[in-house]
Amino acid sequence: MNLGFRHDVQTLKWMGPLAFGLLAVISLGLLPHAVRAQDMSFDINETESSAPKGKAKGKAAPAKEAKETKEEPAEAEGGGEASAEAGGGDVLSELSAGKGKKENETDEGGLPREKEVAEKIYAVQRMYVLRSGRFELAPSMAFTVNDQYVSHNALAAGLNYWVSNVLAVGVNFLWYQGIESESALNFAVRRSARLAVPVTQYQLGGNLNFTYVPIYGKFEMFNDSIFQWDTYLVGGVGVLRTRPVAVIDPAVRTFDFDWRVAFNVGVGIRVFLTKWLTVFGELRDYIYMEKLESLTVSLAQRGEPTTWIDANSTVTNNVMMHVGFTMFFPFTFEYRYPK
Amino acid sequence: MSTMKRLAIALTTIAAVLALSGPAQTAHAQDVNVQGPLAGAPAVINMRIYRQMRFQIQGHFAMTLQDQFSRSMMVGGQLMFHPTDWLGLGVWTAFAVAKVDTSLTDQVSSKGQTAGVNVLSLPNPANFTQQIGRINSVIAPQVAFIPLRGKLGIFEKLFVDADLYAFGGVAFVGITERANVDDKQVSACKARFAANGLSDAIACYAPTQSATADRTAVAPTFGIGLSMFFADFMAFTMEWRALPFSWNTSGTDESGHPRGDYPDGKINESDRLAHFNHMITFGLAFYLPTKPKLSTAGNE
Repeated sequence: MNLGFRHDVQTLKWMGPLAFGLLAVISLGLLPHAVRAQDMSFDINETESSAPKGKAKGKAAPAKEAKETKEEPAEAEGGGEASAEAGGGDVLSELSAGKGKKENETDEGGLPREKEVAEKIYAVQRMYVLRSGRFELAPSMAFTVNDQYVSHNALAAGLNYWVSNVLAVGVNFLWYQGIESESALNFAVRRSARLAVPVTQYQLGGNLNFTYVPIYGKFEMFNDSIFQWDTYLVGGVGVLRTRPVAVIDPAVRTFDFDWRVAFNVGVGIRVFLTKWLTVFGELRDYIYMEKLESLTVSLAQRGEPTTWIDANSTVTNNVMMHVGFTMFFPFTFEYRYPK
Repeated sequence: MSTMKRLAIALTTIAAVLALSGPAQTAHAQDVNVQGPLAGAPAVINMRIYRQMRFQIQGHFAMTLQDQFSRSMMVGGQLMFHPTDWLGLGVWTAFAVAKVDTSLTDQVSSKGQTAGVNVLSLPNPANFTQQIGRINSVIAPQVAFIPLRGKLGIFEKLFVDADLYAFGGVAFVGITERANVDDKQVSACKARFAANGLSDAIACYAPTQSATADRTAVAPTFGIGLSMFFADFMAFTMEWRALPFSWNTSGTDESGHPRGDYPDGKINESDRLAHFNHMITFGLAFYLPTKPKLSTAGNE
C-alpha cells in the first residue's frame, strides 16, 4: 500500500484541530483495510512511506522524502491548508479535487458537517528497480545439460543495455576450450557396443541478444525478508567456433576449429539482492548446424582431409545452464513521477 | 578431469557461494529502513496461509531427464500434511506408464557390433532394448521446507500467489535390470565360443540378454519446487527431483575388475555404476480444508 492514498482524502482549510484529529484516526483506520484489499501487498513502499509518523499529524513532509519524490507536493493532506495548492501539481490530489467541494455541507445550525469520503484510491506501487537506460554486466559459468557424451562447459560474460524497463539489447561471450569434459559414457559405449559416437569440441562463442521481461514477482522469507525477482526471455544470433574430435580414425584425422552461425533462445530468472546486484540462472539453447566427423573411413583416401568430415550438417542443440550474477550501472537511478 | 578444470570449477563454486551468502545481509533488508508505526511489523499481514494445518493431495506427471538408455514417463500422487506454513510431511509416489528408449539405445540396436571381446555385454545388438535398465516406480517419504512465499505477475495481467520450496527424503526406487550372469554361465559360453566360434557364443548368451531382475534401490532424494496458487484450494506445481543411486543402465559388463572400472567377465552388482538420476514433475495440488486462513500481525 502506498501512503499516497492520503492525498485522496479531502481536508478543508477551515476545519479545526478536531476534524484534523478525526481524519488522522480515519487514515490510520483505513490502513489495514487497504492492505487487505491487495491480498498480499508487501511492497517496499508500504514500509518506506509509512515511516514519517509526522505526516499523519499534518506536519511538513521530511525533506529527504520531498527531495526524492520531487514533483509530489510537500503535504497535500496535512493541516487543512494544502489542498488547493496540491491540486495543481499532484495527480492524486487532482483526482480528488473535483469531489472535494461536495463533501462538506452545513447542518441546520450552520455548523460544518462531515460526510463520508468515498474517494477512489489509486494505489500505485513503485518498481523496486528501474532498468531503463542502465547497463548490466553479467559474468557467469555455463554448463551443458543435454549432452550425454561431452559437457561443453564455459566461462561466460554478457553486457546488456536496457532500452526500457522490460527490454534490453546486448552481447554475450563464452569461452569453452580447456573447460569441456568428455563423459565416461563415450568410452563405455565404444567398449561394450563397438559403437563410436562422434563428438565435437568448442572453443568460443559470441552472440547479439535481446532480452524481454514478461514475468516479475516477489517472495518473502518467513514473513521477514522480501526478495524481488523476475523471469526473462532471451534470444539472439551469433557465432560459435567448433571442431570435431577424431574418434572414428584418430590415428590419422585431426581437425581445426571453424566458425558456425548459431541462434539462441532461453529463459532465465533474476533475483535482486540490491538495486544494482542480482544473481541469475538461465537455461539457453544454442542452436547451430554442426559438421561431424565422417563415420566411414576410405581406405583409398584415408589421408585426404576432405573425406574426414561428414557431407551432411547436423542440427545441434547445445542447451546450457548459466549461473552467475549481474551488476547494473550506474548503481543508482531516479524515479520520475507524472505531473 | 584436469587440474585446471577442477580449479576453475572450484573457484566458480566458491564465487557463487560468496555471491549468494555475502549479499544476504543486504538482501535481508533490500534497502528498507522501516521506521514509524510499521517498525518491527511483519513483512506481510493478511497473507493467505495456504499450507498451515492443511492436507495437500496432489496428482502429477513426472519424466526422467538425461537418461542414457531409457526414459520413464510416470504418473503419481502425493499426500502431505503441513503442521506449519513452512513445513510439510508426506509421501511422494510415481509409477511408470511408458518407457521410451533414447536415441543412443536405437543407435546401439541398429549399429552395435558383437565380437569376442564384448559378446557378454552385447550378445545381439538387435535385442539391446531387452537388457537395458528401467525405472518402474518411486515411493518417497519426504519432508518439504517452504521458506519463500510470494506472488508473481505474468505479462502484468495475471497475478498469482506462489511459493518456492525444497524437499528431501528417502526414495524407494523400483527398477528392472539385466539379471546377473554368473561364473557358471560364463564358463559354459566361453567353452562354446572356443569350440564353435562367435555364433555359438551368441546363442549361448542370448537367454541372458532377455533375463531381467527387479529390485528396489534405496536412494536419497531431494529437489526444489514452485507452487502457483490459482485458487484458495488449488495450485499448479513444478518440481525438479534428484535420485542418485547406482544401477546398471546398459546391462553390460562395466566393472568388477581388480584394476577398477574394467570388465570382469560377469554381469553382477559390481556393474552398477553411480548415476545422478533426476526428473521433472508437473502437478496439480488440492488443499484441504479448502479455505485458507489469513495471517495477522502476531500470528505468523
